[in-house]
Amino acid sequence: MKRNATEFLKTEYQDLVSKNLDWKIRILESGSAPHSTVDGKNILMLCSNNYLNLSNHPRLIKGAIDAAKKYGAGSGSVRAIAGTMKIHIDVEKKLAKFKHTEAALLYQTGFAANAGLIPQLAGEGDVIISDELNHGSIIDGVRLCKADRAVYKHRDMGELEKVLKEADKKYRRILIITDGVFSMDGDIAPMDKIVKLANEFGAMTYVDDAHGEGVIGPDGRGIGAHFGIEGKIDVEMGTFSKAYGVVGGLVAGSKDLYNFALNKSRTWLLSGSHPPAVSGAQLAAIEVLETEPQHVQNLWNNTKYFKKEINSMGFDTGGSETPITPVMVGDSGKAKELSNLLFEEGIFALPIVFPMVARDKARIRVMMNAGLNQKDLDFALEKFEKLGKKLKII
Amino acid sequence: MNSKIGFIINPIAGMGGRVGLKGTDNVLKEAIKLGAKPVATKKAAETLKEYITKYLTKDDLQWFTCSGEMGADGLKSAGIKKIEVVYDVSDRKTSSEDTKNLCKKILEKNVDLILFCGGDGTARDIFEIVNKKIPILGIPAGVKMHSGVFGINTSATAKMLHEFVNGTLAIGDVEIMDLDEELYRKGEWNIRLFGIAKGIVEPTYVQVGKTIYESVSDDDLKNELTEHILDELEKSSDCLFLLGPGGTIDYIARKIGLDKTLLGIDAVYNKKLIANDVNEEGILALLEKYNSAKVILSPIGAQGFILGRGNLQLSPRVIEKIGVDNIIVVSTPSKLSSTPFIRVDTGDKKLDQIFAEKEFMMVVIGYRLSRVVKIQTNNF
Repeated sequence: MKRNATEFLKTEYQDLVSKNLDWKIRILESGSAPHSTVDGKNILMLCSNNYLNLSNHPRLIKGAIDAAKKYGAGSGSVRAIAGTMKIHIDVEKKLAKFKHTEAALLYQTGFAANAGLIPQLAGEGDVIISDELNHGSIIDGVRLCKADRAVYKHRDMGELEKVLKEADKKYRRILIITDGVFSMDGDIAPMDKIVKLANEFGAMTYVDDAHGEGVIGPDGRGIGAHFGIEGKIDVEMGTFSKAYGVVGGLVAGSKDLYNFALNKSRTWLLSGSHPPAVSGAQLAAIEVLETEPQHVQNLWNNTKYFKKEINSMGFDTGGSETPITPVMVGDSGKAKELSNLLFEEGIFALPIVFPMVARDKARIRVMMNAGLNQKDLDFALEKFEKLGKKLKII
Repeated sequence: MNSKIGFIINPIAGMGGRVGLKGTDNVLKEAIKLGAKPVATKKAAETLKEYITKYLTKDDLQWFTCSGEMGADGLKSAGIKKIEVVYDVSDRKTSSEDTKNLCKKILEKNVDLILFCGGDGTARDIFEIVNKKIPILGIPAGVKMHSGVFGINTSATAKMLHEFVNGTLAIGDVEIMDLDEELYRKGEWNIRLFGIAKGIVEPTYVQVGKTIYESVSDDDLKNELTEHILDELEKSSDCLFLLGPGGTIDYIARKIGLDKTLLGIDAVYNKKLIANDVNEEGILALLEKYNSAKVILSPIGAQGFILGRGNLQLSPRVIEKIGVDNIIVVSTPSKLSSTPFIRVDTGDKKLDQIFAEKEFMMVVIGYRLSRVVKIQTNNF
């Protein structure tokens, strides 16, 4: 019998649907803002990564429009051939200056940075040492190379040291990779200690600071600035798609890293460069961070207020040190129910359930935002209290 | 899910413990004379009561068991009503033969799981009949519980039962182990590996979408370990490899095409099997012949032993000769999650001390993927 070439498309999808594992995509009918329209409903947005609400900032919008007018809608090529525009270089120079590093390189996305650069940094005979809770894009980047891999317990420096001792005997290069801010719990990697240990063993350090860029450190300059070790982390990787309010991956570090990365990263070499409008907005985002400190301040003020109030209601917010605020529910079914009830009440917040987190640690992940005002925060808190009592969580 | 559960209590399990006997096999009379009291029925009822009060929302389980103290009494005292007695022992004292016969009757009912209460000996009797046909879960009540089928305590077992019925736990390989009791009473300590049963294990998940995870089958995880070991064999083609006992290594060897013994130590050179089930003497002779050697081990049983249980052929002399750094430990992540330590009991204080000073070992948990695991040489 002749095989059916495409039947699996349907059957595999239906299998996901039957297990309730398919994505039910919600559609934004407005910009991504604290007050958005999602699936026809006005909601308070508590699950976007647009931490500083910069995606709606007039300077970013103007930056995008001006760049499009000046350079056109597309870049025409990959960066390596004919797609590097002056505006891309302007972003990279400004970013390096902002992050106090020698150089910075733009990637198409954060994922492209991890998937393109990590496999070039380690290969046969090398080892990549990774925090057990690292983000999926790091894991994929690591899978693309022939290096051995070793994991250490989440943020456990004792275990990291043991792995380093063991690795020191066997391998050529050692690369330590960690998330900067962990996206499920909102805790921060002890980067100062990791760099110190790495220096002892001659290991390279790589941090994925997607949730830290624009959020932690003075003026939101990221994890290096947060620990006062700017320029000491070998690879500071980040994204323009979260707090910066645009899209795009970034890598900051030495000039050597810049030259090496752009010549070797396959994702960088083989995909088209950002449209000028994207880079126009990126440039404006850095300028806003440099000149308008109120956004980062608002974000932290809102975070502190929300955490204090929700804790005083009896909710547990785990070990979060950042605007990522896990509101613990416990049971996965209950977390999903709470998320649905919140949506009915006009609040969009994502449930995080097993196996993303331990069976008894299901939660609603509230992403704080600088654009929320006092009234918004109190509205959200009131709904959490009401539904938390209804579901007997508090 | 309308689960069907087979239920077995070994009424005399654990009776030897408090009176200083290392088990009740063949010495029940002596145990009773020394004042031993039955414990198994109480432990079984404790587990079932916890299961019912904490987890059971709808009574849709059908139980198949034996009359009296080998099952029905325990179920009834926990308040369970949907019981079908498939084997009757009301007229006599029971023995391990009854456990085996009961198992046969239970299997005829196409149950999803056998829940039993006892120790290693009971597990062994059940395994003899059930083999790998259906999973086995043990409520710990015996004197010895080295087999991987047991919950840590009655509460943990109740939770495992609930998660199995709910479909949130996976089925994986677990070892059936027992002390050779005749030898023990003559003063020789030998925990033997009897076989690999199906047990219930914590599944391993991989992220397939941003917030979507899928569980990975035990076989997929072992395939990854196989790839890793194949690389090792190719990298060190002039090195002698000794493959230890157990389900994980047996699977890997078979995948590579090596006809390994399940319970023994086998020797491989240049990706070819050169000796099956070698004893200490045989291993020492091989080590004389080859310049370098590595040994591949996997944690065995409930306590995660890599040396000292089920593989006494790897004597202190053998390990000293191979070198502690030439031990490769492989484990599926699910197995490691139930045994957070790897344990070593070589029987040689000096060698145990070397492991103790090492403190930890890198355990291979996937293709070119390892993690650090603590070594325990005492307090077990």
